[in-house]
Amino acid sequence: MTTFLRKEAPMSASAHDPSTDGSDANPRPILSASGVCKRYRTGAESVEALRGVDFAVEPGEFVAVMGPSGSGKTTLLNCLSGLDDIDEGTVVLDGERIHELSDARRTRHRAASMGFVFQAFNLIPVFTAVENVELPLLLSGAAPKEARRRAAESLERLGLGNRMGHRPPELSGGEQQRVTVARAVAGRPRIVWADEPTGNLDSETAAGVMDLLRDLHRDGLTLVLVTHDQAIGAMAQRRVVVRDGRIVSDERVGVPR
Amino acid sequence: MSLVALASVPLLFLLVRRPVLRRLALRNASRRPRETALVVLGSMLGTAIITSAFVVGDTLDASLRQGAVTSLGPVDEVVRTTGADEQAALIRRLSALDGSSPTIDGVLPLTIVPAAVSVSGPDGEVARVEPAASVVEVDFEAGRSFGGDPAATGIEGGTPPPGRAALGEDLATALGAGAGDQVTVYAYGDQLELEVDRVLPRRGIAGFSLPDDAAPPPGGGSAPTLLVAPGTVSRLAATDAAVGVAPATVVAVSNRGGVFEGATVTETAVEEIGASLGGVPPGLSTAKADLLAQADEVGAQFTELFGSIGFFSVLAGVLLLVNIFVMLAQERKSELGMLRAVGLRRGALVGSFTLEGWSYALAAALLGSVVGIGVGRVVAGVATGIFGGGDGALELHFAAERASVENGFALGFAISLVTVLLTSLFISRLNVIRAIRDLPDPSATRPRLRSLVAGAVAVVAGGAWSASGIPSDEPFATLAGPVLVVAGMAALLSAVAPKRVVISVASAGALTWAVSAFGILPDAFEGADIAVFVVQGVILTAAAVALVSHNQEAVAAALRRLGGGRSMSIRLGLAYPLARRFRTGMILAMYSLVVFTLVFIIVLSDLFAGQVDQFTADVSGGFDLQVSSNRSNPVTADEVRARDDVAAVAALADVGAEFATSRTGGDFEDWYVTGIDGAFVEQGPTALEDVGDFSDAASAYRAVLSDPGTIIVSEFFLQDGGGPPEAALAPGEQVSLRDPVSGRTAELTVAAVAKSSFANDGAYVSMRSLSELYGPRVIPNRLLVATAPSADPQSVAGELEATYLVNGVEAESFRDLVSENLGFQTQFFRLMQGYLALGLVVGVAGLGVVMVRAVRERRRQVGVLRALGYEAGAVRRAFMVESAFVTLEGVAVGTTLALVTAWRIVANDTFGELGFSVPWLEVGGLVVATFVASILATAAPARQAARIPPAVALRLTD
Repeated sequence: MTTFLRKEAPMSASAHDPSTDGSDANPRPILSASGVCKRYRTGAESVEALRGVDFAVEPGEFVAVMGPSGSGKTTLLNCLSGLDDIDEGTVVLDGERIHELSDARRTRHRAASMGFVFQAFNLIPVFTAVENVELPLLLSGAAPKEARRRAAESLERLGLGNRMGHRPPELSGGEQQRVTVARAVAGRPRIVWADEPTGNLDSETAAGVMDLLRDLHRDGLTLVLVTHDQAIGAMAQRRVVVRDGRIVSDERVGVPR
Repeated sequence: MSLVALASVPLLFLLVRRPVLRRLALRNASRRPRETALVVLGSMLGTAIITSAFVVGDTLDASLRQGAVTSLGPVDEVVRTTGADEQAALIRRLSALDGSSPTIDGVLPLTIVPAAVSVSGPDGEVARVEPAASVVEVDFEAGRSFGGDPAATGIEGGTPPPGRAALGEDLATALGAGAGDQVTVYAYGDQLELEVDRVLPRRGIAGFSLPDDAAPPPGGGSAPTLLVAPGTVSRLAATDAAVGVAPATVVAVSNRGGVFEGATVTETAVEEIGASLGGVPPGLSTAKADLLAQADEVGAQFTELFGSIGFFSVLAGVLLLVNIFVMLAQERKSELGMLRAVGLRRGALVGSFTLEGWSYALAAALLGSVVGIGVGRVVAGVATGIFGGGDGALELHFAAERASVENGFALGFAISLVTVLLTSLFISRLNVIRAIRDLPDPSATRPRLRSLVAGAVAVVAGGAWSASGIPSDEPFATLAGPVLVVAGMAALLSAVAPKRVVISVASAGALTWAVSAFGILPDAFEGADIAVFVVQGVILTAAAVALVSHNQEAVAAALRRLGGGRSMSIRLGLAYPLARRFRTGMILAMYSLVVFTLVFIIVLSDLFAGQVDQFTADVSGGFDLQVSSNRSNPVTADEVRARDDVAAVAALADVGAEFATSRTGGDFEDWYVTGIDGAFVEQGPTALEDVGDFSDAASAYRAVLSDPGTIIVSEFFLQDGGGPPEAALAPGEQVSLRDPVSGRTAELTVAAVAKSSFANDGAYVSMRSLSELYGPRVIPNRLLVATAPSADPQSVAGELEATYLVNGVEAESFRDLVSENLGFQTQFFRLMQGYLALGLVVGVAGLGVVMVRAVRERRRQVGVLRALGYEAGAVRRAFMVESAFVTLEGVAVGTTLALVTAWRIVANDTFGELGFSVPWLEVGGLVVATFVASILATAAPARQAARIPPAVALRLTD
């Protein structure tokens, strides 16, 4: 697969050799979180979803966040990506304390440096595949023609060249998730967050999507993937286990399989 | 009502006996109170509009019926006699019925003299004058005992002694006079001083005024009466110097029963009178029964008028309901699929939806009927301002009959229920698997057999309807038949050609036909009912919406280009309405319908209001002023002609008449006729619509002057109610003219047809032939005056009124006369605009509901967009763009249709020769107001959408 991810200096160390265990001389983390707490309040009740999480992701890493249902995996992803607010702690992403940014700046920051892959695909149903993929490009300021060209390229590379004009309901689950991946990486983000990306797919299609993500990682993509599937988690370089809002295990396993 | 109750029985059964369905149906109403409120508001307005139309009719009916109390009281029939001798003879013969008849319980001689009455100021100067009062000579004792109820006569006390009079309430108000004041009566070139010894209420005999020959029959208008002893004023007519019309001598007849019950035996009473007199006298009029019939007719006309113009708003409400229920079904699609999967039958699904709709419809209909009474009250209040001014002012009394409110409730409820039921049937046809997986319905690769059959049926039915209706000038068939054929053809051709192209061509064809049919086949639409215009509006709107809906991509592409292609809000805001075609079409149709009718009324109103110069030129016939004087004391043409500030004068005489034509089926109908002399033609006569065989208007009028067997009638001749001319006679047709007093008849041929004059829509014959038929009752008391070139018409009018005060002169420039009439029309159009604006509330409420639901169903998508980098402001703007796009499209479609329709109407001379113009300021104001209201309705849901935290949206829905 041809590389179409952003090649930048901070990424280059591991991007050149993603198969290493990331132990190069002090690579600067792309994400650094410390003491992150998140509480949900329902009436008088308060549930601590995250309890002082410290976490860092280095450029080019493929991190699997694992844990049982209700352990706080998705909350961690939402808080680290800035989709959700936190109650305590700091999250520095690409040099910015994202929770101290205004909503507008945080949104722009997301558009410029992050991509998302959701379990339920979450494509915009009224847009065609190519329109969905070009969205983040347009949001990060690309000219419409350029955005369309790059979106089309992305889809071609993911084998969806003949499905560009189709709307999501007209695509299969696997095709939709591939479009979602194309959308997530089209803007050449610094980091891609994937929340149970294969949860809605059959095993064969799920394997295809994971192959795709691993290919992208080999091209330099920094990927944080939430899953409860041990097999999927085993594909990552690093496995972080979350239980009751805490990271209980952070294991680097080296070469992704 | 009973049908409504019957229709509700199965639903009540479901409500009580099927708890699962009940919970399914009613939970949304309680879970989402704001949306429920919007749904009920939108649906409620339909009932409110229907109820208010009934209430407006009730009010008109009741107000006119009030005339039976105020101006007739116990008087049921009136026999006009040719003089005092005939009156005495009639009294003698009819008095025999008084005690013996099972139907008639009284006869009363009355003598009425039209006169000017003034009251003097402290220094003896004339302080105030009523130029058109009626002096009623009556024996008060006989009057009070006339009929069965003395209170109904309005007569109190004994007959005023010589030198004294009782003032009717209206005349007392007009003069500002009361007991002890001196009033002066001017009649027959003489005057009489009388002291007022009491003021009587406007009721029965005390409010009785025999209609002036040229005035409409008694209704709810004011009756300035002065009541005196017999012979007090009429004796002035007996002097040699007397000029003017002789006193009217009548015999009033009272039927047994009260004021209203008496009218129910009118037919029997007439038979008895006829039997007693050896035949029904020609001067007999069934005044009470006529008045009540007229009241019912006018009430029904107003109900129809307001019901018809309100129909568009009701239809908008129906579209709103359909839209809401389809959205509800889409929102709950997977849930419904699950229910079907676990065993809920389709019928139960329909029942659940219908039950939910039934609860909305019931609440909306109950609320709507109450609001409808309020709307009717507001309309009546505004109408009082319109009808309450000028001569013959109608005093409106608000009335809401229980039956009307029940009917409004029942109709509104039935319309909602049927809509809900049909929509429920439609949306319950879901594929269980697709519904559970929330998959879209597959697009049909080939047309369904059902569509083909429906298309074929439409072609055949439309063709047959057109073939039978067009040759016989049936307006509905002419208008809708070909459209039905086109619609059927479109359904068939969609099987073999691209649907977008087929629908576009068919819609354009239907549009073209609906706009131009009135010009192509004018005979079919001559005198068309208002319902035809309603059908035209519906066809136009449906075709335009279909055309636009199938070409939305082109519109959106143009808008995207306007936004430079970079605006994410425009991109997103346009994507949803384009993808949700049905929903967008429904909103588009709602807005288009309402805006179409509103703009059309605005343009029509402006067309008339802007024609003062043209209408003045048409009506004035080269004269500047119309000068009328009291018929018992008229100013002669010679007197006015002798003035230095007057260049020319034509004298006209107006008298009440009865006409029969082939259009009336040979029956005589009340109207009036005007006698003209040679001077009428000299200044360039009033304009004609159809000059017949003559070269110009002057030649036609001269022919009438020279030929006593000819007549010129107006294009509104014998037409009740407003609107365009309905069934104007053509030159060459025959007309029978009858004097309602003597019964003498003349057969006349229509020489030409006059335009609506806004001053006189009567019929013209020569003064000579009129006198031959009517005798001395022809008094030329209406003068057309051309002022001298150096004189100011307004000043001359003022001087004439001051100079001929005792003659009851009222002088008015033709320009003012036309302006006043057009002003009346304009006010009425404004009233209709306000009424129609209710439909806008439906549209805006509908848009609000759609946007609130849109925010809910797109929460997850909003979360995704926010995650991808859409700023909150961009999300808000996208919702606003979506709302603005649909609103502007609807407004554009409605406005364009209205302007084109109005332009075609002008081009076809449907309302005469009008110049086309557009009141851009008013139309612009409407567009802006609609747009702003729609944006405001979207603001809250858009803000709500923008505030959705992305993680929350994703968490809640995933």
